[in-house]
Amino acid sequence: MNCVECKTRLEEFLAGKLDHEGRSAIIAHLITCDACTLECSRLAELIDAFDRSREESVLEPPNPSAIWRRISNTIEQELRANSKADRPDPEIEGPRRWTLSMRQLLLSVAAISLTSSLLTIVGIKNYFDPGGPDFVSRSVETQTTFEKLLSRVGLTETPQEARERRLREQQAAIEYWSRRVAARRAFWDEKLRRGFDRNLQAIDQAVIEYQRSLEQNPDDELSGEMLDSVMNEKMSLLREFAEL
Amino acid sequence: MPAFIRSSCRRIIPLRATKVATLCLIIWAAGAAVDAAAQRRFNRSYPAGQNVRLQLLNRSGTVTVEGWNRQEVSISAFLEAPAATIEPQSLSGTIYINLVRDNQGRGDVGSVNFLIRVPFEAFVDIETKIGNLSVTNVRGGLVRAHITTEGDITLTNIEADNVSAQNGIGDIFFDGILQPNGNYRFASISGNISIRIPLGSSFRLVATAPSTRNISLGNFSGEHLRFVGDGRRVAGTAGDGSATLTITNQRGTISFLRR
Repeated sequence: MNCVECKTRLEEFLAGKLDHEGRSAIIAHLITCDACTLECSRLAELIDAFDRSREESVLEPPNPSAIWRRISNTIEQELRANSKADRPDPEIEGPRRWTLSMRQLLLSVAAISLTSSLLTIVGIKNYFDPGGPDFVSRSVETQTTFEKLLSRVGLTETPQEARERRLREQQAAIEYWSRRVAARRAFWDEKLRRGFDRNLQAIDQAVIEYQRSLEQNPDDELSGEMLDSVMNEKMSLLREFAEL
Repeated sequence: MPAFIRSSCRRIIPLRATKVATLCLIIWAAGAAVDAAAQRRFNRSYPAGQNVRLQLLNRSGTVTVEGWNRQEVSISAFLEAPAATIEPQSLSGTIYINLVRDNQGRGDVGSVNFLIRVPFEAFVDIETKIGNLSVTNVRGGLVRAHITTEGDITLTNIEADNVSAQNGIGDIFFDGILQPNGNYRFASISGNISIRIPLGSSFRLVATAPSTRNISLGNFSGEHLRFVGDGRRVAGTAGDGSATLTITNQRGTISFLRR
């Protein structure tokens, strides 16, 4: 047997897989060849080490969760160390950062979406339907649930509040134009003056009627609408005569 | 009565009657002369295209606008003393007459009574502070008649697409044909509003008379028109509802008549 044949059969020899004749031939060669003997001893050590390690691994099976906990702890320690190093002094920095849980974050996103949707709906409705029923002349009965909700939370006025605000604005304009008319009326002829006074009186009577009607029934939509209309008539009359 | 007295009376009475009649004639002639002197006249004509627009703002006096079969606008004005200043302007198809602007700052200005003739297809926009307005035989795109205080508005034989009549104290009478997709608005503080239209007219109606609750639909009551708000308003459609009719009378009545 030469060295090449010996080395190729060493593994089988050490594993005890060779027959008596093959084992005798290997042994006879190893006695005469130092190189092959050395190779044989190295291979035997390697196989022993492998077998030992396999035996250990069978006796002490690995714990993945423990290994992961260790790794996780290490990562967290490193992160804490980094964040401490990066975080400036709170007294110097000012407002602290919000930390939200996933649930809080989802609720916040839902609330923002709902609010923006409602505001968009209101905006679109007002944009496309500005000439619809005037809110000033509306009653509580004709308010939609959505409008009632907005009124209740204070986002919009109730019809009554809107009417009162509108009346105050109209009254302010009427007072302004009345002063202008008072300054000008001395220049009008008698016929014009009488016509103006009679007309103003008719308008004021209508205003009183609608105000009485609204006192009795604040939700009377028609009286609200007519009051708004007749107040506009009064403003228009005063403005036109103030220019004469 | 004694006979001599009766015979004397017979002679005296014819003599006195003649004198009185003569005196009356003299007084009437003198009055007419004074009137003629006090009332000045203003006449002017403008050539007009098919869609000429007349825009008039008067202070006081009546305004009568009539459509005619001529392509010109004729303006006649009768000016009461103290006579107002009139300076009409014709700019790019529109004739402007603005007596408020022309007499700004003048205290005492007499009434001006207009008689204006326009082509049938003209746009008519007239307004006065006090006095009656009348428009007849116009079928252009617009008829607008506004009185700031007192006066009647009479719109006769109107076939315009858009009509607006508004006054303070006084009646409004509309006689005409509602055009498909036309817009018609009538508003008064105190007076009677009468609408005379053909029976088969198509319109969408909102008529409001809150004080009197007196809205008479006449022959139109069988249509889809219903009373709302305790009888203070009538709303609904007649025919296919193509025209829009809005009537508001704060302290007067509304009535529909068949044309």
